[in-house]
Amino acid sequence: MIKMNRRKLVTASAVIAVAALTVTTVPAQAYNPRSNEPGLTATTIKLGITLPMTGIASPGYNKIPGAMKAYFDYVNANGGVNGRKISLVVKDDQYIPATAVARANELILRDRVFALVGTLGTASTKALTSSTQLSRRGIPSLFVNTGWSGFADKKAYPTTFSILPSYQMEAKIMAQFIKDKYAGKKIALLYQDDDFGRDALAGFKTAGLTFDTLIPYASGSQALPATGAGWISKLRTAAPDVTVVFGVSSATTALLGNAFAAGWVGKTQFILGSVGGDATTIAATNRGLVGLLNGAKGLSFAPAPSDSSDEYIKLFQTIYAAAQPTQTFDNNVVAGMSNAFLAVQAIKAAGKNLTRKGLINAIETKGSTFANPFLTPLGYSTTSHVGATGYWFGTYGPTGALTPDGGKYTVYTTDSGTGPVVESTYKRPAMPAKGLPN
Amino acid sequence: MLKKHPLITFIFFGVVLYLISNRLDELLVYQGATVGIFVIAIASLILLTGYSGQVSLGHGALMAIGAYAAALLRIHYNAPVWLTFVVAVLAAAVGGALLGLAAARLSGPYLAGTTLALAIGLPSIANQFSIFGGEQGLSFDIGFPPASLGEDFTQYKWYFWISWSAALIAMYWLRHVLNSRYGRSWRAVRSNDVAAELAGIHVGRNKVLAFTISAGLAGLAGALLGMTISLVSPGVYPLLLSFSLATGAVLAGVTTLGGVMIGAVILVAIPEIALAIANRYGGSETIITNLPGLLVSGLLILTVLLSPNGPVEQMHARHAKRAKSGKASHSPVELTLRVGSKTWSTKK
Repeated sequence: MIKMNRRKLVTASAVIAVAALTVTTVPAQAYNPRSNEPGLTATTIKLGITLPMTGIASPGYNKIPGAMKAYFDYVNANGGVNGRKISLVVKDDQYIPATAVARANELILRDRVFALVGTLGTASTKALTSSTQLSRRGIPSLFVNTGWSGFADKKAYPTTFSILPSYQMEAKIMAQFIKDKYAGKKIALLYQDDDFGRDALAGFKTAGLTFDTLIPYASGSQALPATGAGWISKLRTAAPDVTVVFGVSSATTALLGNAFAAGWVGKTQFILGSVGGDATTIAATNRGLVGLLNGAKGLSFAPAPSDSSDEYIKLFQTIYAAAQPTQTFDNNVVAGMSNAFLAVQAIKAAGKNLTRKGLINAIETKGSTFANPFLTPLGYSTTSHVGATGYWFGTYGPTGALTPDGGKYTVYTTDSGTGPVVESTYKRPAMPAKGLPN
Repeated sequence: MLKKHPLITFIFFGVVLYLISNRLDELLVYQGATVGIFVIAIASLILLTGYSGQVSLGHGALMAIGAYAAALLRIHYNAPVWLTFVVAVLAAAVGGALLGLAAARLSGPYLAGTTLALAIGLPSIANQFSIFGGEQGLSFDIGFPPASLGEDFTQYKWYFWISWSAALIAMYWLRHVLNSRYGRSWRAVRSNDVAAELAGIHVGRNKVLAFTISAGLAGLAGALLGMTISLVSPGVYPLLLSFSLATGAVLAGVTTLGGVMIGAVILVAIPEIALAIANRYGGSETIITNLPGLLVSGLLILTVLLSPNGPVEQMHARHAKRAKSGKASHSPVELTLRVGSKTWSTKK
């Protein structure tokens, strides 16, 4: 231990006293929710996103920020939103909830962003929302990239807005599709055993669909070679006519890879949830597996990325080709640009005297009428924070592209409760001129 | 002052920290809370390695045991926050005692390997049993700060206060333990276990006791870490955390508690330094993600090469050399041990 004589004691005490006095003279910087809005000037708005840019879940998703920036830059080059230009701070959380919390803290405390936008993953978004106390601080969390139905609950998450339909909606719509097309068949479900997958289980249960085989997997375990081999072993024994996959795309990759390795190909009809059917992610691991998607069923709520006849897709393709000429235009790009598009619409609706509270209020009161590329209505209201509210079904081709069954988008809509699944009559309004807010 | 009036010193330090917490911005207060947590975690490792001579590369796992116990108690029984921390200490101590039983029979690389296996294996256990919430983990929400502290009293300041209160109490208690008969016995065991055994010290029992106390402190740090991010999951206690703590202990100087703040501050500063370097040179996400690990490893190697006993110990050694007082330095290999009425010198 440190030894001290009287002289050193006096010196040390004096130093500590001076240090303490110096510290007390520094003006207090305690958080004050009534102070000026962070991340906002008369000409700029700073937004922040955290998502997996590296790690197992990153392929595909890591294109989202580039796509968002491409659209924001397009808007900025055309005058911005209500005279303000948007910047986006991007953080990498590797799909690890604890890391997402740390990155969100950096965005809020160091970068002092005005709002979060498009944070990705149920577990990560739940963790960062709770830990950084977004609702208590009044920080908007716009259009989170997760369909966990809890985020649509305004009471629990007053500042968070979903963009995807809820997983419960998706499961209900899938259940109806399976009942219609595959009645009496043996059905298996592979799902991620966390809030993401369990939300879908709740939806399947509400819809009255029961599975002959249930295969849960822990998030992250899909990276282990034995995990995928175990799935195939169980599926081979169960021999289901239809296999529903409600997991991330890296799980689909593991499933297809192990099915191929075990020679278990063409033995079941795959139906992939919207999250797990991303050909880019599968190709990033093994391009040869993309062909195994051929014939699988999938669902989406946005226009197909290859559909150049859609005015939004056409605009997005043009913008993205100029901004990221070496990158492929896929559904991750559509997701990112749609997210940015909706964020711009929300900021525009909040008016020139932009505040965090005003932004939340604008989405709640006008959100259901925002221009957007989706083929389903938006569900934003003063009581619900859910985004899109339906899906169309399609079939994967040999290149991994999902095209709508019957050559046209037949959209089904429902709610996260016990409401029925019905065919939507929604007609999407025309895109604003040049896809710009002003 | 520390030696003569330790309680006053700790209270004074607490007052300074209180003043600091009122003046810093939120990010620094949040990082300050993490420094307090690392102080406890590194101190627990120093107790184990520097004082009892045992190695642990799996302290992150012991932290996780405490954190999971605290979170489960909070979720299922809505236990008060202070009780969750007490249970975190007890649960990790039990885990540490079990590990210590094995550790007492092992040494050197075998012990390092065993503790490393624990750090690697624990996340799989979390994924195996649904009660632990898998990779998503468990929410550990301690709630808002008391309303009596005012509307502007932030959550981060609340974390800072709790972390540093725990750190100061833990350090005060630990200082007493290390200066007690137990601490002296551990040092004797570390310096020469045969000589210690001949002196009547039960080597095995002392090693297990050191492991138990070290684990208890690690469990407290683990629960506090979970508190600051409202989450307990395998991702909060990765292998890198265990390695970082080992680095922090080496930087602090494994043979003395005096440098524990240095190790803790450096561990919190490393990600900041990495970010600054990456931003300055326009680094990619991959560089930003991997640079902290590289810096931790680099610092560990440099410290072992240049200052194996840590900067504080080196400072003491220099001071002693300059003074040429002829008194024994603080190195444990030169300690004089008194057990009962007998006296041994472990000086070689």
